[in-house]
Amino acid sequence: MSSTRLRWLLVALATFAALVFVACGDDEEESGGEGGGGDAAADVKQFPADSALGRIQEEGKITIGVKYDVPPFGFRNPQSDEIEGFDVDMGRHIADALGVEPEFIEAISDNRIPFLMRDRVDLILSTMTITGERDTEIDFSEPYYIARGRILVAGDSQIKGIADLDGDTSVCTALGSTYEETLKKEAPDSELRLVDSYPECQELLQNGAVDAISTDDVILTGMIIQDDTLKLVGDNLTTEPYGVGIKQGNRQMKQLVDETLQAVKDDGRWEDSYQEWVGQYTDQQQKPPTMTLEEAVELAPE
Amino acid sequence: MTELWEVLRDAFPELASGFWVTVRLVAVSFVIALAAGTLVAGLRLAPLRLLRVIGATYVEVFRNLPLLVLLFISFAGLRRAGLPVSAWVAGTGSLGLYTGAYVAEALRSGVFAVGKGQVEAALSLGLDYRQALRRIVMPQAFRTVIPPLANLTIAMIKNSAIIGVSLLALPDLLKEARIYQSQTFQTDATFFWAAVGYLILTVSATIVARRLETRYAIRR
Repeated sequence: MSSTRLRWLLVALATFAALVFVACGDDEEESGGEGGGGDAAADVKQFPADSALGRIQEEGKITIGVKYDVPPFGFRNPQSDEIEGFDVDMGRHIADALGVEPEFIEAISDNRIPFLMRDRVDLILSTMTITGERDTEIDFSEPYYIARGRILVAGDSQIKGIADLDGDTSVCTALGSTYEETLKKEAPDSELRLVDSYPECQELLQNGAVDAISTDDVILTGMIIQDDTLKLVGDNLTTEPYGVGIKQGNRQMKQLVDETLQAVKDDGRWEDSYQEWVGQYTDQQQKPPTMTLEEAVELAPE
Repeated sequence: MTELWEVLRDAFPELASGFWVTVRLVAVSFVIALAAGTLVAGLRLAPLRLLRVIGATYVEVFRNLPLLVLLFISFAGLRRAGLPVSAWVAGTGSLGLYTGAYVAEALRSGVFAVGKGQVEAALSLGLDYRQALRRIVMPQAFRTVIPPLANLTIAMIKNSAIIGVSLLALPDLLKEARIYQSQTFQTDATFFWAAVGYLILTVSATIVARRLETRYAIRR
């Protein structure tokens, strides 16, 4: 219970901090990237002024939609008031490759694709699984992270896996996530509760209104970090390759993002971020994904 | 245009199920609102000071808190305090009790709108206090409160849309529309039909209110 209380306190502090510091812009940590990429500015490629990337360089900033509430991928650090996480690291590397400043705005599961289609953002880096359906609306980069679908339950729960999610149970996931389909298929009798954000799922699980949460392991691990009475059960349900969302048809951007991500995977920056945001909590090692976009699309449900 | 009809055909099962949830939510909340409103109006008009204070406290609490806050308190708050209320109970309870505060005020103002002379005349004609209230004051008060009650009902139907969006996540009309939209990205057409669904409910409420008004109109 005390970790729950701590969580509420952190939320309150974060809100307070946001109110206090909202007017003070901060440009201190612009280089980003923990282990490398220090001399990114030196070999920045200049794009023609009338191209999509040229306009971003002209403006000097790239707008990236990230989650604000999904540790450890995109979340507001209550101490520093900065948006941090694995997705944020990747966004900074892409901004570095363009020689511009990243501007992070909040994009929840339900609005991230409309944001991209309506040019609210230049890129989406918000724990977004590559799917064939989404691929018809937007373009994806090559996969930059492979998450696995899991189930999270309360510590004293009898549920041991997806098969136990029967008619007497309810399960929560985020509106607009791939788990809507997965759960309808794999646990059709369980009552499906769709909310706007994963912290809402967490609240519902903690207050007992739902019996389980199903989503990516990394998001669920973030919840366990906050409340260690929760536990992961069952096997991997799905494989969820994350891709960077790019506006449909913006080939120049896709090429830049893919090249940057490949460099990040090759030069050790990927492992640095993995270790900082995931590895140190799970005690697991992981290599950068080698799955291609085509494989990811074929793998995805529908 | 064809897109509109295609979306309606494709989304109809989901939207219809959401519409039905909204109808049930609104119906149950309406009953709760009328019951709570009548009771509280009675308390506020009671001859005992303590009862009047209780009635006034109810009105001020439920009228002065945002509905969304009530939903959070009645669901997450009560559950964490150990009272396992369901999303249905929390949703209809919050919306009903919230609207009930306004209903109580509407009823009270309706009673006050009946001139004091009416009561005095009734009493002088030999009716006792209860008879005067039932036969003279209430029928006139009822006529006066139909328009404000219609307003409150329409507001309640619209307010019900918050319940699906909130933590309670009940699959009402707006929620089903949002789910469909998130799967198909047919934003404009989906929300157009959701709006039509709410209009069907609000316009029906308006028509019923008109009928009642005509029926109980003062013939001059």
